Amino acid sequence: MASVKLTNVKKIYDNKVVAVHDFNLDIKDKEFVVFVGPSGCGKSTTLRMVAGLEEISEGTVEIDGEVVNDLQPKDRNIAMVFQNYALYPHMTVYDNIAFSLRLQKMPEDVIYNKVTNAAEILGITEYLMRKPRALSGGQRQRVAIGRAMVRDSKVFLMDEPLSNLDAKLRNQMRAEIILLRQKLDTTFIYVTHDQTEAMTLGDRIVIMKDGYIMQVGTPTEVFEKPENLFVAEFIGAPKMNILRTNLMKAGDKYYVMPFGAKIEVDGEKGKLLREKKIEGGEVLLGVRPEHIVLAKEAGEHAIPVTLEVNEMMGSELHLHVFTEDGTRLIVRVPTIDLDNEQRENLVNGAKLFITFEGKVMHFFDPETEKNLIY
Amino acid sequence: MKHYSDLEYLKLSKWQRFGYRVASFFAGIPKAIWNFIKRIGLLLKTIALVVANEAKDIWSTFVQGDWKTKVSYLVMGFGCLARGQILRGLLFLLFELVFIGYMVVTGVYWLRMLPSLGIQGPMKEYNAIYDTYVTTYHDNSFKILLYGVLTLFFIIAFLYTWRANVKQNKLAEQILRAGKKLKSGKDDLRSLVDDQFHKTLLALPMTGIIVFTVLPIVFMILVAFTNYDGAHDGYNNNLFTWVGWKNFNTMLNWSSGNKTYSATFGEVLTWTLIWAFFATFSNYFLGMLVAMMINKKGIRLKKLWRTVLVMTIAIPQFISLLYVSKMFAKNGLINLFLLDHGLIQQGHELPFWENPTWARITVILINIWIGIPYLMLIATGILMNIPADLYESAKIDGASGWQQYTKITLPYMLFITGPYLLTSFTSNMNNFNVIFLLTGGGPTNAALSTAAGNVGHTDLLITWLFKITTGEEAQYYLASVVGIMVFVVIAVISLVVYNFLPSIKNEEDFQ
Amino acid sequence: MAKENNSMQRHMGMRAANAISNTLIYILLIVISVIWLIPFVFILLQSLRVESTWQVGYVVPRQWGFDNYVRLLSTNFPKWYLNTLIMALVTAVLQTVIVLCMSYTLSRFRFKMRKPLMQFMLILGMFPGMLTMIILYRVLKDLGMTQANAVPGLILVYVASSGMGYYVSKGFFDTIPKSLDEAARVDGATRAQVLYKIILPLAKPIVIYTILTAFMGPWGDFVFARYISMGTAAGMNVAVGLNNWLNLDQIGNNYTMFCAGGVVVAIPVTILFMCLQRYYVEGVTGGAVKG
Repeated sequence: MASVKLTNVKKIYDNKVVAVHDFNLDIKDKEFVVFVGPSGCGKSTTLRMVAGLEEISEGTVEIDGEVVNDLQPKDRNIAMVFQNYALYPHMTVYDNIAFSLRLQKMPEDVIYNKVTNAAEILGITEYLMRKPRALSGGQRQRVAIGRAMVRDSKVFLMDEPLSNLDAKLRNQMRAEIILLRQKLDTTFIYVTHDQTEAMTLGDRIVIMKDGYIMQVGTPTEVFEKPENLFVAEFIGAPKMNILRTNLMKAGDKYYVMPFGAKIEVDGEKGKLLREKKIEGGEVLLGVRPEHIVLAKEAGEHAIPVTLEVNEMMGSELHLHVFTEDGTRLIVRVPTIDLDNEQRENLVNGAKLFITFEGKVMHFFDPETEKNLIY
Repeated sequence: MKHYSDLEYLKLSKWQRFGYRVASFFAGIPKAIWNFIKRIGLLLKTIALVVANEAKDIWSTFVQGDWKTKVSYLVMGFGCLARGQILRGLLFLLFELVFIGYMVVTGVYWLRMLPSLGIQGPMKEYNAIYDTYVTTYHDNSFKILLYGVLTLFFIIAFLYTWRANVKQNKLAEQILRAGKKLKSGKDDLRSLVDDQFHKTLLALPMTGIIVFTVLPIVFMILVAFTNYDGAHDGYNNNLFTWVGWKNFNTMLNWSSGNKTYSATFGEVLTWTLIWAFFATFSNYFLGMLVAMMINKKGIRLKKLWRTVLVMTIAIPQFISLLYVSKMFAKNGLINLFLLDHGLIQQGHELPFWENPTWARITVILINIWIGIPYLMLIATGILMNIPADLYESAKIDGASGWQQYTKITLPYMLFITGPYLLTSFTSNMNNFNVIFLLTGGGPTNAALSTAAGNVGHTDLLITWLFKITTGEEAQYYLASVVGIMVFVVIAVISLVVYNFLPSIKNEEDFQ
Repeated sequence: MAKENNSMQRHMGMRAANAISNTLIYILLIVISVIWLIPFVFILLQSLRVESTWQVGYVVPRQWGFDNYVRLLSTNFPKWYLNTLIMALVTAVLQTVIVLCMSYTLSRFRFKMRKPLMQFMLILGMFPGMLTMIILYRVLKDLGMTQANAVPGLILVYVASSGMGYYVSKGFFDTIPKSLDEAARVDGATRAQVLYKIILPLAKPIVIYTILTAFMGPWGDFVFARYISMGTAAGMNVAVGLNNWLNLDQIGNNYTMFCAGGVVVAIPVTILFMCLQRYYVEGVTGGAVKG
């Protein structure tokens, strides 16, 4: 159990490629932090620098207040779970889990207790004498976690631990990791490219792109108050719709003018626009698919669109529509909101009217892509 | 030359495409050469820059360093000792003492003699006690050259260590200034099995390579510029000395007529290349063919066929080569058998080893016999790795068996084995065993022989080299020129092939 | 109907064509097997020939017996055999250690000099190794390790530069996932512990391959052995010794004895090889694929 502090951490590879720029982060004791971002954003590199598997080019990494830059991985008192599990193929499950304890020269009876204990928690007791080859993906994952668990380490690192599993198993293991975290009660750093994992697991999420931190915040913060266009588009599924449009100020009120319609920005968003004294002009308007609603008929705030694809997801429909000028939008409609007749009318080529919820829109500067009000 | 875009290229007919590619290959040569020169220029520039930076750093370390650092410039390891890094300090100091001791005791002598390779050879001196002339031996050119090179290596090693010593001081000062602790001797020892483990692992192999390969090669390159041979062995009869580029002139001077070294060199080189080409590709394609026959669906006893071939690898080559060599000899099994059964007449034996053309063809054929099992193994490994769905999709697309072979199997094989083909070509150029044990280089090439020993029609550069060094005159200087030429030829071929090899260029294509 | 007939004919044709091509392949494979085995059968038969010691125009002995094998014992052959065996055993051990050190390091460590080192060795490998013989012979002679004492000298020559033959085993090491090393290091292992607790147990096939090839080297070496022993029978290996029996002045007396010697050399090596064949095949194919 320990805090982890990264100060001005930078990673430059030999061929002068900068993988991580000036990374600053303070991870509190027992916090669960998720690094998330598209591949090549530097999230794994950062994690590996904490682990000591990559050299730190500049800056310092502290674990529990001690600078660990020059320490070998074995001296950092960390545990790590790898994407491809990295189980030792020539050892049984028991020996795999016991490996680190044996290196610490623990007495065999202590090792026995620790390993069987961990195996019980993970439900792999019956496989202890098997070799990794004879295990399924989920079981291997559990062994890898068990190997990390028995170490009583200060920090628990996980590098995309679920991405080699199929979708169903992934959901199950995700829940188990939450339980595990409650049991272990230690500091976690978790790397993933999957925003759902990040949102469900993390106390805080670090969103990265091209080696830069784009935003650090709780799941709610990054979802509701994305600092920039990248975070807005990255978090949430289906992706947020982005339109280039005009924000108009008329007296005390703000309106957006997408596709000839005129929609008032109300609620908290309108208040914030006023407080920030935004003058209006061209903006990038972000609207999440669930914040677009079907309108009954044409009107000032209605936008005529044509339905292209109707994806039935079960509890909701994802409607892919395009406007008169060909812009494509995604609309998410709860199935329960529609009656049978309405649903039958949602066929390809159907003409619909949509409108936006004024109180949950996002505005980004077209130049800097920064959120205008946060 | 006109450059086509991708879409324009696709519109060309098959022959136009081929022509275009050949043309662009040749059009690309000047650029490739220019790039090569540029790369060398860049390398030189980088080296100059590194040297300048090192010098600057050495100077600034001295100016900015404390007195411990300054003393270390003269007494290596002093800074380490003064700062409590006893082990490092002692090692530095010991190395310096050994170096100075070596230089004083012998090093200076070898260096001084290196430009002349010895002044006084063996001579007859009058011995008053025995009242006779006895030969006394003095300088030894061989040792002077050898130890001279060794001393130069030692000096380079010393400079490197001295530089490391300076760097150590700078680093130690930085660490102390930052308020951190220096590594102790125990830390150093521990890091030798951990983060510096590679140094521990490489120490032994690299020492072996430097002493038994690098040093001899440097020595032999230098020999090419001397007149070291049987009559000038540097100690027992005459000293040898530097002769400059003379030996290269002898070997490469094309102007003079027949029976010169240059003519022999040209002839032997040509045959070496022909041999390497046929030896490599005949084995390659026939080996692939055998592998495909064994691997064909529906063929039984796969394991048996494979084992039969693999077994022939197990038997030491010299046995099979020598036996086969005698089998084909003038009074060997085959000719005697034919004679006994009246199929040929006495005096009209089949001239397997006597007729130049017969001999050349026979060695290539026997080499196929030797080489196919290896190639069969390699090809089998690769063939089994070709994804089956490639064939399935080709079949659905309507490809015949032959088309599957030319469009899938062959490109895949060539792609994967490209680098192997290159190394196999160069090792065939140096395939001493097959040639020497089968023909000994023969039959003798009368037109060339007087120039450099008994040169034969199947002699490769490498067997010729062997003959030169073991012959009567033992012209080591010529052998080393031949060796250098072998290196040059192989280096040029490798460089050209590497630049055009698809596996190097588009590494990901088949992955 | 017509269409159906046609397709049936096509099917029949395919099967028939397949049968013909398979038969052809069987015939070819049998011919190949015979060609590849025949010289060895001949050696064996001629080694058992008693009636004459020179080359003759027939293969099956008219008088069978082990005379040639008995005669071997009174020659230098036992000495050559012992020399070769000692060299093979010592070389197998030392060379394996060196090759594994080299290839593991180049596969796993990323240090500044790694690439230059590999390029340097590539260039070094383009020089014909034989060139170094001249100097090595003279140096070894000064050290007293030539002629009759050639065995230690030859071992030194075989082993010293063997680090340059790291390609095949490096290729194998490259296929062991790096994350295993990393996991072990996080688990608290030093680099040395990673090597002998994780990598070596996994590298068994390539260790055996390296031992096997190193062991077979001295049995077949001709050039170096001949150069270092320089005509002194006591220092020769089997290849040099047996080759001398085929010189023009000796072949009449010793031809059948050469065959016997060849059989005695080939049998143990072949048996060992066939037992470990699996590893050899793995090494050869893996090595070629990685280049």
